Amino acid sequence: MNGRTAIVGIGATEFSKDSGRSELRLAVEAVRAALDDAGLAPADVDGLVTFTMDTSPEITVAQAAGMGELSFFSRVHYGGGAACATVQQAALAVAAGVAEVVVCYRAFNERSGRRFGSGVQRREPSAEGAALGWVMPFGLLTPASWVAMAAQRYLHTYGLTPESAFGPVAVTARRHAATNPAAYFHGRPITLADHASSRWIAEPLRLLDCCQETDGGQAIVVTSLERARDLPHPPAVVAAAAQGSGRGQEQMTGFHTGDLTGLSESAVVARQLWRTTGLGPADIDVGILYDHFTPFVLMQLEEYGFCARGEAAYFVAEDRLPLNTHGGQLGEAYLHGMNGIAEGVRQIRGTSVNQVAGAARALVTAGTGVPTSGLVLTADG
Amino acid sequence: MRTGDVLPPLTLAITRTLIVAGAIASRDYQDVHHDPELARRKGSPDIFMNILTTNGLVGRYLTDHFGPTAVLRKLSIRLGAPNYPGDTMVLTGTIEQLDGDTATVRVIGTNGIGAHVTGTAVLTLGGER
Amino acid sequence: MHTDEDLTERLKAFEGRPAATEGTGKDPVNLPMIRHWCEALGDTNPAYSGPDAIAPPTMLQAWTMGGLSGHTGRSAAYDELLGLLDAAGCTSVVATDCEQEYDRPLRPGDEITFDTVIESVSDRKTTKLGSGHFVTTRTDIRVGPDLAGTHRFRILKYAPAARPEKPPRPRPVVNRDNAGFWEGVRDRKLLLQRCTACAAPRHPWLPGCNACGGLDWDTVEASGEGTVYSYVVMHHPPFPAFDPPYAVALIELAEGVRMLGNVIGVPYDKVRIGLPVRVEFREHDDESTLPVWRVTG
Repeated sequence: MNGRTAIVGIGATEFSKDSGRSELRLAVEAVRAALDDAGLAPADVDGLVTFTMDTSPEITVAQAAGMGELSFFSRVHYGGGAACATVQQAALAVAAGVAEVVVCYRAFNERSGRRFGSGVQRREPSAEGAALGWVMPFGLLTPASWVAMAAQRYLHTYGLTPESAFGPVAVTARRHAATNPAAYFHGRPITLADHASSRWIAEPLRLLDCCQETDGGQAIVVTSLERARDLPHPPAVVAAAAQGSGRGQEQMTGFHTGDLTGLSESAVVARQLWRTTGLGPADIDVGILYDHFTPFVLMQLEEYGFCARGEAAYFVAEDRLPLNTHGGQLGEAYLHGMNGIAEGVRQIRGTSVNQVAGAARALVTAGTGVPTSGLVLTADG
Repeated sequence: MRTGDVLPPLTLAITRTLIVAGAIASRDYQDVHHDPELARRKGSPDIFMNILTTNGLVGRYLTDHFGPTAVLRKLSIRLGAPNYPGDTMVLTGTIEQLDGDTATVRVIGTNGIGAHVTGTAVLTLGGER
Repeated sequence: MHTDEDLTERLKAFEGRPAATEGTGKDPVNLPMIRHWCEALGDTNPAYSGPDAIAPPTMLQAWTMGGLSGHTGRSAAYDELLGLLDAAGCTSVVATDCEQEYDRPLRPGDEITFDTVIESVSDRKTTKLGSGHFVTTRTDIRVGPDLAGTHRFRILKYAPAARPEKPPRPRPVVNRDNAGFWEGVRDRKLLLQRCTACAAPRHPWLPGCNACGGLDWDTVEASGEGTVYSYVVMHHPPFPAFDPPYAVALIELAEGVRMLGNVIGVPYDKVRIGLPVRVEFREHDDESTLPVWRVTG
């Protein structure tokens, strides 16, 4: 699979707080936009991949987007942790010969419809529901609160303050979003003081440590590298794609094992990506790290080996790696990580609004605190 | 000085110390002005400033501006949003009327919740006590 | 049982009656109290210090305050009025208006007397705080025969608005794999699973052991001793079953496993990593008992 497939098309709807249309419609629009970008037609598509959380079934998207028969369809679980794994699924299918053109998509009205940030109050007594049952009765009900538990331990372990540790991640994202016309926070950079004065959500997390909530859709087209070379854009080669789940892995409430200062699922992905590509953190030109909450960006930088443990805040403050050049989910949009993959592709194509000169190798990651995934995208040749 | 003139604002940090010190200096021992636990039991999220302290702060705002020779003749205030610890109150004033050496000043104190105090004062400027 | 109209009528009967007659100040006007006032309020006006000092005019009411030892000169009528309001459920009080006129400055040494009259009692009013009656009094403050100032004061005596009834906390999610834990909690025991193959204790409850894969297990009752491993202070969004801000802590038990819970015995902003805690059990409503962690150190 590795190096034999490429991303050839990216497409998105506008990113808004109220799309005014159905999630299915957003999915179809994003898929069609990605196919247009790839120079392909709906009839060329024989595979679709999305998230288990998505409400638009592959068959319905295919029907509404003018596609015919499908020979591959698949879904990946665990929320935003699925993002890069959808591309892995597509690449596996193409490399294995079960499909030729696979579109990965994610679309939702996450702001105007069901907001993740509004929290959970009730769960079915399934194994998944029972896992949340250990935390809900005590009032830990939101994604921010689940991340805050690890964030507090991280600060404690390394003797950091929330302002100095998390502020630089938020400021960096909003600086990039400020120059990205597609970003919700276009033209609205923030300072460290803005971060430090934003209100508490789940201490030690403030409002500006939390990603936004978004309505929108994003799609990614994957095909073989040979076919990619005949298409309009320079291919973004899927040099490596990996999933990862740590020992004792849980979904967001992974409080019961480990020291809470790292992300064992990211370590599993990092090991595979570096081993497969023969690359290391020093070889990466741009990092698109999933930023649902600022502390997990720091922990990812440490797990991928960009810096030593406890030093990621300084690493970010010193701008040692171009990071989330689209503005991230803090600044551009919360598209469950799929918009980050699109930015990785733009960097390899050389078309980002915050282009890193000569970028040839991008690391893109998916949601953490849950089983996760990652990609190394490279320029062809 | 003219009617419509706006006084420079005075920004006050509403600290727990200010609330308690003001309550005690005005001999107001109501528990809601010094005991957070009892204040909460009475349905308030925290202790809050008593009206005598607010009155005194408005008086201070006026004489800070008009100087020690100004004499306060009347002061009427109404309270709105409570002053809780950790908030900031900004006092602003507008000269509503000037009649010889008598000024009528409208004062508003706004905190993070809304208008804490609205009031009207009548002062004799540079007058005899 | 009186109707509102009856009550209002009885309240109105107090209008014009004295609330205090020939009250005297607890202290003569004096420099130390003036200085304390100025210090508290940050008032540096030079008129309030030195040999010709006057008292800040806004101190007018302070000289009449009863302090901890109670009011002097208060009339039976005023106590009756407040008692009537208390009996009608208007047990809370908040000052809303203060209107003062300053006729002559008060100087150190002045001994004040005062008379207060109940000027008006309003109809029943509904406010954001609750429904109640505004009571307006007017106090004349004198030094000897001279009027020094008048002080009109309005309070709202009110019945606090009923808060919407608090919904129950989210329930534990009980199924066949974890029912034993919640049954233990109901019996006020903290039960940990223990693998019978490798003896590893575990939490959360699962049907098999992550350490060795063993499917057989028994339970041990935890000592209930632990320390705060990490914590979160919840502010937003507000969940009706909880009162933000509140702390949620991750407790590391003496047995080495961790579980989530709320900490009691310190305010939410004093929870810290490393605090020693011991388990207690609290009934939250008819159906739900939860472990809770009391700070012991």
